[in-house]
Amino acid sequence: MASQVKKMKCPECGVDMNYQAEKLIYPSTSAEMKKMDPALGGLIEDFFTCPECGKAESRHAS
Amino acid sequence: MDVERPLFIPVILGTARKGRMSLHAARLMESEIAKRPGVETELIDISRMPLPVDDAGEAIKHPEFSEKMNRADGLVIISPEYNHGYSGLLKHVLDSCLKEYIHKAVGIAGVSAGPFGGTRVIQNMLPVMRELGLVTIFWDVNFSSVGKVFDEAGKLLDDAFPRRISKFLNELVWMARTLRYGREYIAVES
Repeated sequence: MASQVKKMKCPECGVDMNYQAEKLIYPSTSAEMKKMDPALGGLIEDFFTCPECGKAESRHAS
Repeated sequence: MDVERPLFIPVILGTARKGRMSLHAARLMESEIAKRPGVETELIDISRMPLPVDDAGEAIKHPEFSEKMNRADGLVIISPEYNHGYSGLLKHVLDSCLKEYIHKAVGIAGVSAGPFGGTRVIQNMLPVMRELGLVTIFWDVNFSSVGKVFDEAGKLLDDAFPRRISKFLNELVWMARTLRYGREYIAVES
């Protein structure tokens, strides 16, 4: 089932972006290491794309 | 879906070596992409990107390169072999972005002075492409014995290449269109 929770507005167009991927990111700083999920071995980053202009954005998963 | 927005498929020239014959391969690829309706391109020369070398990864993101990768629907990477691998500078450049690459198509063209046409560098790049979130295609272009493919001025001497590149681009464009639709309209399950 597609997520209905994870939303992001396009900073260019203001429209809802599509939540298109989640990816494991390996920590590269001590601050990131403190946030890493030990079960996954890294941090989850969520990736979004705007259907109007194609802009890509991302943020750490909450 | 915004069908009016053209695809953007830039060509990344992955070497800064002086006298590089890969430049001719990159220009040929750029000109073949530019012939396609609905597809825009440009040549990105990594030797002209002033990235710092006292840090790495997204911390050194280059705004212009990031914008181009963000706009891109697919990439073509032109790489010679450096001791069977790719250049350290190319890796340094590619590592400076991530969100810009996710679910975008990539095709690789290898260049060599000898007979193998960059097959080894292409194989070595595949796991890196995967980790960057790029989607590799199953066509490559191999510029074997590149000194016989182009003259010193860059004139193409082997007329088999436009047809080979056409097959490569057919697949790359299909993948780029398909992935654009997916990025923009299909939500990941979570």
